[in-house]
Amino acid sequence: MAEAVISGATGKGLWYKVRSFLGIHLINIFAGALFTLLAIFLLYPIFSILIMSLRGDEGFTLEFYKEFFSYNFYYWSLFNTLILGTVTMVILVVVGFCFAYLTTRGPFWIRKPLKIVALLPLAAPPYIFAISLITLLGRNGFINNLLNLNFNIYSWTGVIAAQCLAFLPLSFMMIENVLNSLNPSLEETASDMGASEFRIIRSITIPLSAPGLLKAALLVFVMTIAEFGNPAILGGRTPFLAPDTYLAITGEGDFNMASVLSVILIAPCVLIFILHNYVLKGKGYTTIVGKPTAVEYKEIAPGIKIPFMVVAFTVGLLVLSSFGVILLGSFVKIVGVDNTFVIDHVLNTQSNIAIWNSIKVSLCAGLFGAIVGTLLAYVIMRGKFPGRQFMEMIALSGFALPGTVIGVGYIIAFNRPPFLLTGTIWIIILNCVFRFVAVGVEAGISKLHQISIEIEEASADLGADFLTIFFRIVLPIMFSAFVVGFIYTFMTTMMSLSSVIFLVTPGFDLASVYIYLTAQLGELGLASATTMKVIAIVAVSIGILKVIAKKTGLDVSKKQGA
Amino acid sequence: MEHQKTPMLELRDIHKSFGDVEVLKGISAEIDKGELLTFVGPSGCGKTTLLRIVGGFTPLNSGQVILDGEDIGALPPNMRNTKMVFQSYALFPHMTVAKNIGFGLKLKKWPRNKIDSRVEELLSLVHMEGLGDRTIDRISGGQQQRVALARALALEPKVLLLDEPLSNLDANLRVVMREEIRNIQERIGITTIFVTHDQYEAMSISDRLLVLNDGVIQQIGSPVEIYEQPANEFIAGFVGYVNFLEGKIESIDKEMKIKYVSTAYGNLELNHNQGDDEQKYDEILLVIRPETLSLSADQAGKQANTFHGVIESFMYAGSLVKYTVKVEDREMIVDQYNPKDATKFQRGDKITITVPRTTHALKK
Repeated sequence: MAEAVISGATGKGLWYKVRSFLGIHLINIFAGALFTLLAIFLLYPIFSILIMSLRGDEGFTLEFYKEFFSYNFYYWSLFNTLILGTVTMVILVVVGFCFAYLTTRGPFWIRKPLKIVALLPLAAPPYIFAISLITLLGRNGFINNLLNLNFNIYSWTGVIAAQCLAFLPLSFMMIENVLNSLNPSLEETASDMGASEFRIIRSITIPLSAPGLLKAALLVFVMTIAEFGNPAILGGRTPFLAPDTYLAITGEGDFNMASVLSVILIAPCVLIFILHNYVLKGKGYTTIVGKPTAVEYKEIAPGIKIPFMVVAFTVGLLVLSSFGVILLGSFVKIVGVDNTFVIDHVLNTQSNIAIWNSIKVSLCAGLFGAIVGTLLAYVIMRGKFPGRQFMEMIALSGFALPGTVIGVGYIIAFNRPPFLLTGTIWIIILNCVFRFVAVGVEAGISKLHQISIEIEEASADLGADFLTIFFRIVLPIMFSAFVVGFIYTFMTTMMSLSSVIFLVTPGFDLASVYIYLTAQLGELGLASATTMKVIAIVAVSIGILKVIAKKTGLDVSKKQGA
Repeated sequence: MEHQKTPMLELRDIHKSFGDVEVLKGISAEIDKGELLTFVGPSGCGKTTLLRIVGGFTPLNSGQVILDGEDIGALPPNMRNTKMVFQSYALFPHMTVAKNIGFGLKLKKWPRNKIDSRVEELLSLVHMEGLGDRTIDRISGGQQQRVALARALALEPKVLLLDEPLSNLDANLRVVMREEIRNIQERIGITTIFVTHDQYEAMSISDRLLVLNDGVIQQIGSPVEIYEQPANEFIAGFVGYVNFLEGKIESIDKEMKIKYVSTAYGNLELNHNQGDDEQKYDEILLVIRPETLSLSADQAGKQANTFHGVIESFMYAGSLVKYTVKVEDREMIVDQYNPKDATKFQRGDKITITVPRTTHALKK
């Protein structure tokens, strides 16, 4: 018997050993490769910024930080950014609450239209509102001319208005989610005990949703201070951190100062990440288990309904008119000044080249992003090595960090060997892949949660090795998550501006950069027409996403990050 | 008799820990060719872990898994000739019934027409002729179970592993599928390990049971042995109800045929079987099954192997009446089968319980 054992083992030879080794370790090899990619394309750029902000001609120095805090200009820039974040946050929590209250508790006829309007900005890049506001209220703006106003949109008011409109969906989605998860019988009980509706909102609804509202507020704050397009286009002479970082590099070539500004921009993100994950974790009231039940319509007291509707309708009207203005602006010479129909803006060659470049870059980014995202999700969920959570955290960090910062990180990290990528199209693609990989990862993880691990074990049992299982079983089942990752990366790349603006080379324009430049130059027709094309492409992508979500039940919460 | 059979699978001193928790503390067992052995035990006893070690899904800490003479303990599942039917069935949702069944054959690079005919053969084995083109979500739970079984059998494994295969089915279907699995298993003569936490399922389907508790084998034996000659208190209490009664061996007759046992409620004469290793003055625990006891109206005086008691309550269940009888300070359960023809007792009736001479004794 013993001889049989020995000859049985040796008889199968080397290939047998290699295969059984791979069967056990291949997932770890994958994990190692993915971790290396994450380290190079996310950790290394961030690390490079930190180094750059601390390294002078003679080694370690805090000189640049001193400089930052002693210059009035930067001091104001930081101050303005924080004020912008705070004001936008406060406005958006109120507006988001009005929208969400009406869509969850308001009359049925109003729910769907309000929801659509509140989510509409998702289909457009955030800076669409800068362009529409200039068209309406700029120096040559439609309303300014009509009413003979001398309103200056290149100001605080303009930036705040544009930011509020751009981040309305984020605030609305989070607050609606919170309000939906409150058990309606709590409010009904309070009403049964004789509380007025105002009283209910004040002492039941708001206290119970407070942790959720706080989370929404924090997220709006972080996204707003990181946003590049709106303050860059509308900021005028008011300094803000994200555009100043761009200027420090393009205007002065001062990489040290750009790094300091980046670190300053990261700080609130990290702070809020910690708050969100450690301090607020588990806080919140789950008063409903399972699916939220539909709240029955009851007449809202006029004292509440009317002000809520006024707020929601005003903001909603601004959203709709912004889209209208972009559409109009694409086809007339100058909105409100010379309303003759022209097709030139739409047919402009440079605009179309930029769109075509964007499509190419976005397709590549989408494909790679989906592959990396799916693999990462698989490795994180099915691997058995330590540090999986750390890996997930890095993968998700690309999404949380301001685009400006990652842009700066990429030019610092990849303008010299061993990773010389500056000036190539690859740096743009890789940047978008790793900034947006989080969504593919999350979609993959949620899909894998639905698949019993026994399915993979069953295929191993039937004789499949790791690669066969991955390609024949896992990939087909995860295909919907793969497509979600692909489309999401595709459309965010189409709209992305803050990061890629650092990475494009003269002569190679992307749609977003082209829109930014034409808006800066006051070529609103070209900016509008290009934006409209981007919106059309994104709208189609969202449509496809919706169909997939419906068919597969895969819920990918939409996020903003262009 | 036993030693003439050749073991198809041999487990040698298997140890397994998860972190600090040792779930298997040295498991050794042999499974004969064509036998259906059940791993049974309460949840957390290690039975599923042991099955997964045989299948190669869980690495073992030490010990050997010998399949048909070859140590397969270190091989990944895809290189072992054991096939598993999973608790969730783990059917591939993106493939048809036929594709699922043929998956392993395809990996083995069987030609197309051979796969097709083998799949047909298996479909008819599990009574699912003509359903090969269905998708997985369009067949019932019982049918999914059959597909999972067919898929595992396709490659003619040396050992078939079944991980609580009936737990997702409703009670009636469970009995049907249990019989069907047993039928198929006997027909093709495949060596099978069946895992369940349900004692009755284990008793009714197995050639032998391996009862695990706390990572240790409590007993390996046929259903009859497990029920009638349990090795310890755990086994005795694990299958069916039992009246435990402490006693002491006062003496054993010269021919070693009868042991005289004293208990708190009276003396008993019990058969002393060959192989029983109790000695005089040993403290023992009697394993008295409710259906082995018989009741009669109270007779004055004391007869051999009887206790006096009072009916405390009864429960009529058609095929039997379950009496709770108070014998001095303790309650005993007595099952009286075929109550139609038996004397029916009422609450408060004074009765005599007769304990059979075949009552099993455990050494304490």
